[in-house]
Amino acid sequence: MIRDLVFVLLALLTVVPAFWVVFSRNIVHAGFALLFTLVGVAGFYGFLGADFLAVTQLMVYVGGVLVLVLFTVMMTHVPAVGRRRHGLDRLVPPAVFAAAVFGVLYKVITVVKWNVGEASTSPTTAEIGTQLMTNYVFPFEYVSIVLLAAMVGAAILIRERSHAGSDDAIAEEKQEARP
Amino acid sequence: MSFITDHILSWVTFLPLAGSLLLWTVVRREGPARLLALGVALADFVLSLHLWFHFDPKTGVDQFVERVAWLADGRISYNLGMDGISLMLVMLTTLLGPIVILSTWRAVTERVPEFMGFLLLLQAAMLGTFFARDMLLFYVFWEAMLIPMYFIIGVWGGQRRLYAAVKFFIFTMVGSVFMLIGIIYMYYHAGSMDLRAFLALDLPRQAQLWLFGAFFLAFAIKVPLFPLHTWLPDAHVEAPTAGSVILAGVLLKMGTYGMLRFAMPLFPQGVATFAPLISTLAVIGIIYGALVALVQPDVKKLVAYSSVSHLGFAVLGLFSLTKLGVAGSLYQMLAHGLSTGALFLLVGVIYERRHTREISEFGGLAHGMPRYATIFLITTLASMGLPGMAGFVAEFMILFGTFGSTTLAHGRLLTVLASTGVVLGAIYMLWMYQRVFLGRRDNPRNEGLADLSGRELVVLLPLVVLMFWLGVRPGVVLDRVEASIDRVLAPLAIEGAAPAGLGAALTTPVLELPEGQGRFVFGNPEMR
Amino acid sequence: MELLHVKIPSWGDLQWWLPEAVLCCTFLLALLGDMLARGRRPVVAFAISVAGLLAAGALAIADTHAVAPAGGRAIMGDLMVVDGMAIFFRLLFVFGGLATVLFAWTSEEIMGHRRENKGEFFALTVLMTVAMMVMAEARNVLMLYLAMEGVGLTSYVMAGYMRTSLRSTEASLKYVIFGAVSSAIMLYGLSLLYGMTGSLQFSGIRAVLLGGGAEPFGILVAVVLILAGMSYKIAAVPFHFWCPDVYEGAPTPVAALFSVGPKAAGFALMIRFFYTTFAVGTNAAASNSLIQVINWPLLVSVISAVTMTFGNLVALRQTNVKRMLAYSSIAHVGYLLMGFVLLSEMGLAAILFYLLVYTLMNLGAFFFVVAVNNHLKSEQLEDYKGLGYRMPWAGVMMVVFLGSLTGVPPFAGFVGKLYLFTAVMDRQWFWLVIIAGLNSVISLYYYFRVARVMWLVRPDEGHDSPLRLSWLQYTVLACLAVPTLVLGLYFGAFKDLADAGIRTMAGG
Repeated sequence: MIRDLVFVLLALLTVVPAFWVVFSRNIVHAGFALLFTLVGVAGFYGFLGADFLAVTQLMVYVGGVLVLVLFTVMMTHVPAVGRRRHGLDRLVPPAVFAAAVFGVLYKVITVVKWNVGEASTSPTTAEIGTQLMTNYVFPFEYVSIVLLAAMVGAAILIRERSHAGSDDAIAEEKQEARP
Repeated sequence: MSFITDHILSWVTFLPLAGSLLLWTVVRREGPARLLALGVALADFVLSLHLWFHFDPKTGVDQFVERVAWLADGRISYNLGMDGISLMLVMLTTLLGPIVILSTWRAVTERVPEFMGFLLLLQAAMLGTFFARDMLLFYVFWEAMLIPMYFIIGVWGGQRRLYAAVKFFIFTMVGSVFMLIGIIYMYYHAGSMDLRAFLALDLPRQAQLWLFGAFFLAFAIKVPLFPLHTWLPDAHVEAPTAGSVILAGVLLKMGTYGMLRFAMPLFPQGVATFAPLISTLAVIGIIYGALVALVQPDVKKLVAYSSVSHLGFAVLGLFSLTKLGVAGSLYQMLAHGLSTGALFLLVGVIYERRHTREISEFGGLAHGMPRYATIFLITTLASMGLPGMAGFVAEFMILFGTFGSTTLAHGRLLTVLASTGVVLGAIYMLWMYQRVFLGRRDNPRNEGLADLSGRELVVLLPLVVLMFWLGVRPGVVLDRVEASIDRVLAPLAIEGAAPAGLGAALTTPVLELPEGQGRFVFGNPEMR
Repeated sequence: MELLHVKIPSWGDLQWWLPEAVLCCTFLLALLGDMLARGRRPVVAFAISVAGLLAAGALAIADTHAVAPAGGRAIMGDLMVVDGMAIFFRLLFVFGGLATVLFAWTSEEIMGHRRENKGEFFALTVLMTVAMMVMAEARNVLMLYLAMEGVGLTSYVMAGYMRTSLRSTEASLKYVIFGAVSSAIMLYGLSLLYGMTGSLQFSGIRAVLLGGGAEPFGILVAVVLILAGMSYKIAAVPFHFWCPDVYEGAPTPVAALFSVGPKAAGFALMIRFFYTTFAVGTNAAASNSLIQVINWPLLVSVISAVTMTFGNLVALRQTNVKRMLAYSSIAHVGYLLMGFVLLSEMGLAAILFYLLVYTLMNLGAFFFVVAVNNHLKSEQLEDYKGLGYRMPWAGVMMVVFLGSLTGVPPFAGFVGKLYLFTAVMDRQWFWLVIIAGLNSVISLYYYFRVARVMWLVRPDEGHDSPLRLSWLQYTVLACLAVPTLVLGLYFGAFKDLADAGIRTMAGG
């Protein structure tokens, strides 16, 4: 009983702000709403006994990604979105598509006999750490190299922005942009 | 010499290829390039003479066979062979090779090594097509002909050469793709690309109809058969003289050769079903080509349309499904190769001097250029099919064969209609000759044109001689091809289909021609 | 954790993974070298990358003979496998990576700008090569996803490598967004599959499926989602829309690599995943896989037909050579998918062989565009007028590439198509072969339009000076053109390699 109640609360916490994210006109509001959704998801992880995932979700998404998004939104001047037309022709096709996806996934979730393991009651963090350092050491190392490439890429892209202003690049770019 | 004679077919095929590689890489100056090309083409002709003299006419099986496993554990092989049918077309090709090269001595001055290289490459591909007895090998050679021709038309052609080159390429490619699909289908079922394996395949009727359609489309475009002929006039008019000669002389025969070698023996059911339709189209082509040729203001275009008409005869002969008709069709290929090739050369000669081909520009040329006028007249008569010339024998056999055909319900009607094509042929050729050569020399620009030079005579005389020779001694050819035709047509079982009277005529060793133009020997080895 | 079937990896496994390990080190060394040279001497990173790629290539060739018995050698705790197919793709990717690095060195687009840090480009190419190899080796869902992300991340960076160009930036952004969406879709499918079967190993998934312990509808949804994600990677319709923009925006050498590398890797992944997980039996007849709810052959053949037709029809209208090649590469994906229809050994081997040929000819065509762009600063077809006469050798080689892309004998592309056509030569799929044949004719028109402009049109007055290529460019182009020609006439050995690749592919 109490489990059901917790589940419903978490679900509401996740889904209701998600609607807000999609329909809000104000991008800052949308960002804050996303915060609640992500916290809700973290709650689910915890609820299911995945303590490590829950903490990671909080730290990475709520603490890192989302804060970054909010900073970016607030620090850069986002032009006010003009009043877009929200006529039926704009709403109906996505709505139908979303409903169809929902229907299919609902059917999958209800029909399939899921291969469910025992939910662990003990903390998983140590076990995950051991696995990462033994059985999964290869993917772990591989990911580190891929992330290094991502960092290099980020460095390249950022550095170029700062350089771009200093030479003829901007002029060139404007030329190109002109029809 | 045994290293040559043991692999004589490969030598004949790849000698021109080697020449073209030399021309593209080493010999880059005009003069040496011309000489080298001529030398290679002559050497190739000499090599092919070996084939002529060592060919055994008694048997229809492939001779000089070379067979080496190539790919897929030998399911695809490098497989060359030659029977009488191939022999004739190969001789025509190797003969036209040096002639064509010699004819471009003055006409082509730009990028000579490349041009000669493409001519030789084209020759190699054509020879390979005639020799190939493996379907993949055949297809490779078949397609390999396209690229040199594309460049010959596209680089050295006339005003609208781009359009003509692309049209030529696209048309032929459409047909080839369907044939390729057909080949792959048969490979899938036969498990080998060997032609014999294909022949051994016993396909259901439905499959045969589709496959026949796929193969026939490729060949019909190449011939070209009536509704598919539209690329031909463009290609001919825009191509340089050498290109036109090769195109008319050999390339078009690929279509009829392909029908005879592949489409007909492989799919007897398809032949039986479509023969009435195809022969009707062929007759339409004969008359249509002749009528259109009649009204052409341009000499070259006129000759191009006459090709449509003449090759209509060749297709009609094949699909008369009588031995006589088929033999006549092969004869027509040779005759047309000689006479139309010569006509294009002659048109090239006058174009070099006047830079125009409009009939209305000319008149009374016979006065200033007697030798030119004489040879032109002989060629015109040969093209019309005057008795005593090669074309006559061919058309006679085709019409005779069609008339007696039992598989064609409307064979007699077709014969009558096709005969009007002969008459029309005489009209448009003679009328053109009259307007160009006879009458008064009104146009001052036609004054003082040089007559044929020694080189041009050397180019033309062999063709003229052969036109006569084949006209009076058909046995030279027919004896060599008879066994091969029998063998190729064996799957069609047409022998029994011949009516009693003609059947008897066919088996009679000597057939007297009504006009008394010599005897034409069919099936008598002593009369060679 | 027992369910995951993972064994603890041993250091010994590395000996079967030497080429990749060498390339990982090369990547790090190249970055380090570039840093030490303070980004001013890209030659350091270039030299390290070339040396590393050469070494990896040599090791990969040496491995060809040393490979394990049938079924390949499972490494890294069974997350990956080195078998015939993996080795085939290793060689292919090393070759493609090496060619790209060498040609990028001569490209004005990459090297011409007065900017520092060109060296990273080479390092990234090396890493992308590794990631593609891992894609071809993965036999575990986790590894599969990581490998795809590895290729994805490096390509996003490389697509946006030209700092000054709006086009390049836009291309990169598009790539990132579409890539993220598609990988999310695929991840969803993969997690459904895991949820149903409880295994991340392909073999484990297969075992559960064979046991009939999975709901067909669930499998259907999972497979469609996964297929969608992979279709994005290979740019099959309807997941192709990013492709032309990205290719056009990215520097041309990068576009060249994109058009062959990630696509080939995507196909490798699809082959291993779908074949070892879902296929039953090995012959064409038993191709109806474990996914009975789906009419798999129909689904794939429709995608294939639509993809090739779309690619060709749109390519027909392009006036920019690079964009034309981009659309034509979509068409080639359509041809390649033909080999996937029946999930038969014959078809898969045909895919492998075609990928080899396609790598040669498509890289060649793109590199020619690079060489032209160095001189003319243009990719417009109208600027190609008479180019054949200005750079005759390169022009001839371009004709070879174009002829091969069209599929005209005696070029390699013809042989590739021959095998693909044969693979679906089943009565039921006859229509697909006919569509493919007609598509070849369409492609003939636009490929030879380039040849026509280059050779049949005379250069304009004042624009007819000869253009010189460096010896390096000639060498790379020749290394692509000669095999394109030779493989058209003698392809036995390479076909055997492709066949062996499929035959010794580790079963599920």
